[in-house]
Amino acid sequence: MGRARDIRLAYLLLAPALLLLLTALAYPVGWEVWTSLTDLSPVNDHPTSFVGLDNYRRLSGDPAFWRAAANTVAYAALTSAVKLALGLGLALLLARPFRGRALVFLAIFLPWAYPASVSVIGWYWTLSPPIPTAYSVFMGNMKYAVDGALGGGAWAFVSVTLFNIWRGSSFIGIFLLAGINAVPPELFECAALESKSAWRRFWLVTVPLLKPFLALAVFLALTTAFADLANVWMLTAGRIVYPVLGTHAYWLAIHGGQFGPASALSLTLAPFLLAVLFVLFRMFDPPDQERA
Amino acid sequence: MAQVMMKDLNKKYDEVHAVKDVNLHIRDKEFVVLVGPSGCGKSTTLRMVAGLEEITAGEISIGDRIVNDLPPKDRDIAMVFQNYALYPHMTVYDNMAFGLKMRKFPKTEIAKRVGEAAEILGIQELLKRKPRQLSGGQRQRVAVGRAIVRHPQVFLFDEPLSNLDAKLRVQMRVELKRLHDRLETTAIYVTHDQVEAMTLGDRVVVMKDGWIQQVGEPLELYGHPANRFVAGFIGSPSMNFVEMTVADANGALWADTPGLRVKVPPASAARLGPYKGQRVTLGIRPEDLRVATGADAADYSFDTVVEVVEPLGSEILLDLKAGPNVIVARVDPTVRAKHQDKMRLSLHPERVHFFDNKTELAI
Amino acid sequence: MSPRPWWRKLGHGSLLLVATVYCVFPIYFMLVQSLKTAQEDVFGNPLIVLNPTFENFEELFQQSGESHGYVGRALRRSYPVLDWLENTIIVFAGSVAVTLVVSLLAGYALGRLRPPGFRWWRRLIFASYVVPHTILFVPLYQVIVSLNLENNLLALLVVYPTLAVPFCVWIFSAYFQNLPRAVEESALVEGASRLTAFFRILLPMSKPVVVAAGIFALGTIASDFTLASILLLDAHNKTIPAGLATMEVALDELLAVAGINLMAIPVVLICAVFARGYVRGLTAAMVEGA
Ligand SMILES: Nc1ncnc2c1ncn2[C@@H]1O[C@H](COP(=O)(O)OP(=O)(O)OP(=O)(O)O)[C@@H](O)[C@H]1O
Ligand SMILES: [Mg+2]
Repeated sequence: MGRARDIRLAYLLLAPALLLLLTALAYPVGWEVWTSLTDLSPVNDHPTSFVGLDNYRRLSGDPAFWRAAANTVAYAALTSAVKLALGLGLALLLARPFRGRALVFLAIFLPWAYPASVSVIGWYWTLSPPIPTAYSVFMGNMKYAVDGALGGGAWAFVSVTLFNIWRGSSFIGIFLLAGINAVPPELFECAALESKSAWRRFWLVTVPLLKPFLALAVFLALTTAFADLANVWMLTAGRIVYPVLGTHAYWLAIHGGQFGPASALSLTLAPFLLAVLFVLFRMFDPPDQERA
Repeated sequence: MAQVMMKDLNKKYDEVHAVKDVNLHIRDKEFVVLVGPSGCGKSTTLRMVAGLEEITAGEISIGDRIVNDLPPKDRDIAMVFQNYALYPHMTVYDNMAFGLKMRKFPKTEIAKRVGEAAEILGIQELLKRKPRQLSGGQRQRVAVGRAIVRHPQVFLFDEPLSNLDAKLRVQMRVELKRLHDRLETTAIYVTHDQVEAMTLGDRVVVMKDGWIQQVGEPLELYGHPANRFVAGFIGSPSMNFVEMTVADANGALWADTPGLRVKVPPASAARLGPYKGQRVTLGIRPEDLRVATGADAADYSFDTVVEVVEPLGSEILLDLKAGPNVIVARVDPTVRAKHQDKMRLSLHPERVHFFDNKTELAI
Repeated sequence: MSPRPWWRKLGHGSLLLVATVYCVFPIYFMLVQSLKTAQEDVFGNPLIVLNPTFENFEELFQQSGESHGYVGRALRRSYPVLDWLENTIIVFAGSVAVTLVVSLLAGYALGRLRPPGFRWWRRLIFASYVVPHTILFVPLYQVIVSLNLENNLLALLVVYPTLAVPFCVWIFSAYFQNLPRAVEESALVEGASRLTAFFRILLPMSKPVVVAAGIFALGTIASDFTLASILLLDAHNKTIPAGLATMEVALDELLAVAGINLMAIPVVLICAVFARGYVRGLTAAMVEGA
């Protein structure tokens, strides 16, 4: 088992994954980074020129950008926190055996297993019925009330947010259940002897033991926070006007034809996500294991 | 069946030099045990023989073939791992048959060989089970069975008994010995348990920090340890060591330290001559001490105070103090002693060992 | 543990009920609508169906390609739903397969062979999740065009795995890193080559983890709607989600809801069958020795 041969084999086996990610991600991201430094636009009549950081500079002076950024951060943080809390609750509900546990488990698995590509369509239509149905009057009133309170487009935004939470909490619930299953029951029993307060036990035992799972769940929640929004955005050709960075970028690119600023806009979040990820890595990286 | 030769064998990991200049000739049909404290490089040595670890320098041959560049599958060896390493998704039968299938044995031959091995090990009833339905002892048998069905040239064992409880370990030890007597396959056995090493090995190799300390038959290691480490490692409870000064008095050599003064036995006197006036380490096994009677020579006796009494039934272990020196003695169960009793001990003059303080080699 | 008092049991029970309703209700609601006649949809109770009918599902499949009638003055178009179904099966099965193969290889390389800096390779691959997907489809489309995969199902087989591969590589490499080496080594000593040991020993004993990665891949891929609708333009070349988006919802709402269920039910069934394995696999991957 030559080490050198092993290493060569390792790179060989890594190649397909890297190739895939390179074609489908690296080039597009590179394009986006480059474009964000130009004034590329399909409606330009002059050749595309390099503008340096102009797009970014312009963004930072734009109040609409800051509002969208604030919305985005609030949205991502809020949905992730709610998903995590609900997911943890669901997982803890299932932690101990009881009659019918298998069924409840399947029920909790369902929102995630039910393909979001179609369920989000169904959800959206249900909440904003396109034709008169038995419940459309009720939904119409809801929409009217919410839009009236929060501004146009708020109802659609809120409804997609609810969908995202509904589905995400299911994923996180099942994921954390896998974590709880890994904790030896003696530890919980031991903790029960140590402390009478369920709350303290939760913070001192459950949470630390689940740390790698929680960290991974937080990250996945953050990165998937906008997927459903994007789906609905495509579906309705941009009828959701509530501004977050993603939809704002779509708007600039597709309706305004301003690829440069749109690219700059969509890239603004990446460094922050990366920073979060590197903090979290330390919590869920598999520990180095010495062989026996 | 084959001999195994290791020539100037070395293994370096990035930072650790795990095996250093190991030279070992294991004869055909021999059962050799590698023993040593944790991290001394015994597993690494074994794994190099198996081909699971690359050889940094040196040469290994099995039979007449140099196997340095041979992958494990072509070395015709079988290995039993500490955690048994059974294939969890296969039945016991399939576990044992796997190696034969890999070598394209016909079905009937496989069935025959597995049946034989199962019978030898008494696991015929378990053949249809999966590993997780077995107890630790049963898994152990399956692992051994898997090794013997192939009639390999060499068996390699890496601490195969250390996951069993004490009683089962003793039982399996006897069975392994019987098995080797019956199959006569060359075997290399790694353990950190010196009792296992002494009982199983035709010869025992003591390792420390990657170096071989001594190779020899069990009683040779026990009776004539090459250095202080081997002396302390072999035997339980381990040998007592006391640093002493060699002094000349009344025309004889004496070993002297506060609280303890004994004559150097005539057998050792010649070799200790050059150490006159220097400090050496005296070693005496607990079983080579006894409660002094009038008949014992005063030259080999000394006074102690009892600290702890550990009755074990067939014998008593006494922790004693001779001046500042702590000494353990193994005495008859009839001896009555309690904390703070005074007691005069006598040592067996032929069984006293002396070690050079610097080189730690036996003098 | 002492038996729990009745009020604790009641509390636990009601929480379970709430959780179950919370999770199931929206799906129940959609299922109910898809079983309704147009009549009942407009005038009936939204929560129940009194005259369940499969007519919406039947209608989905009666698409010989031509228009099939008028509602008022609007022509109701028909949709090649069978084509969509076939496409969906091809794309999903293919993408999951590609994801699993690619991630297994990479996971084995990173968890077992551990080339220098394997930890950073793994992190790098995982970090691809931070890529902002918002307007990525513009350059992505260029890539697809340059690969000559425009309007071709194969395009999705290239793009979809990127959604699941990073997580699956993580799962596999963590799993292989935690898995004691002895079992594989034992196979090597017994006469297996690396490859044989991988296929005969390592892979079969890792079934739960493969299931976990597969279910994750399926769930992730099945949640995409954007990429499918951008990359597949031809009406016959769409997957179900992309196709549904082209329906005239105002006219065919019930039909569309039926279409949703048509796609969802098989996916849900697959997930349900493997649900236990999914949890077991995630556990095995994340926790050494589990
Ligand atoms: N893969 C490895 N990489 C780096 N160092 C290693 C590796 N394997 C072993 N070592 C080091 O080599 C030395 C010898 O290890 P080895 O496993 O041979 O010890 P051992 O005698 O079998 O001990 P034990 O009784 O604990 O099994 C140790 O210091 C160990 O830390
Ligand atoms: Mg070892």
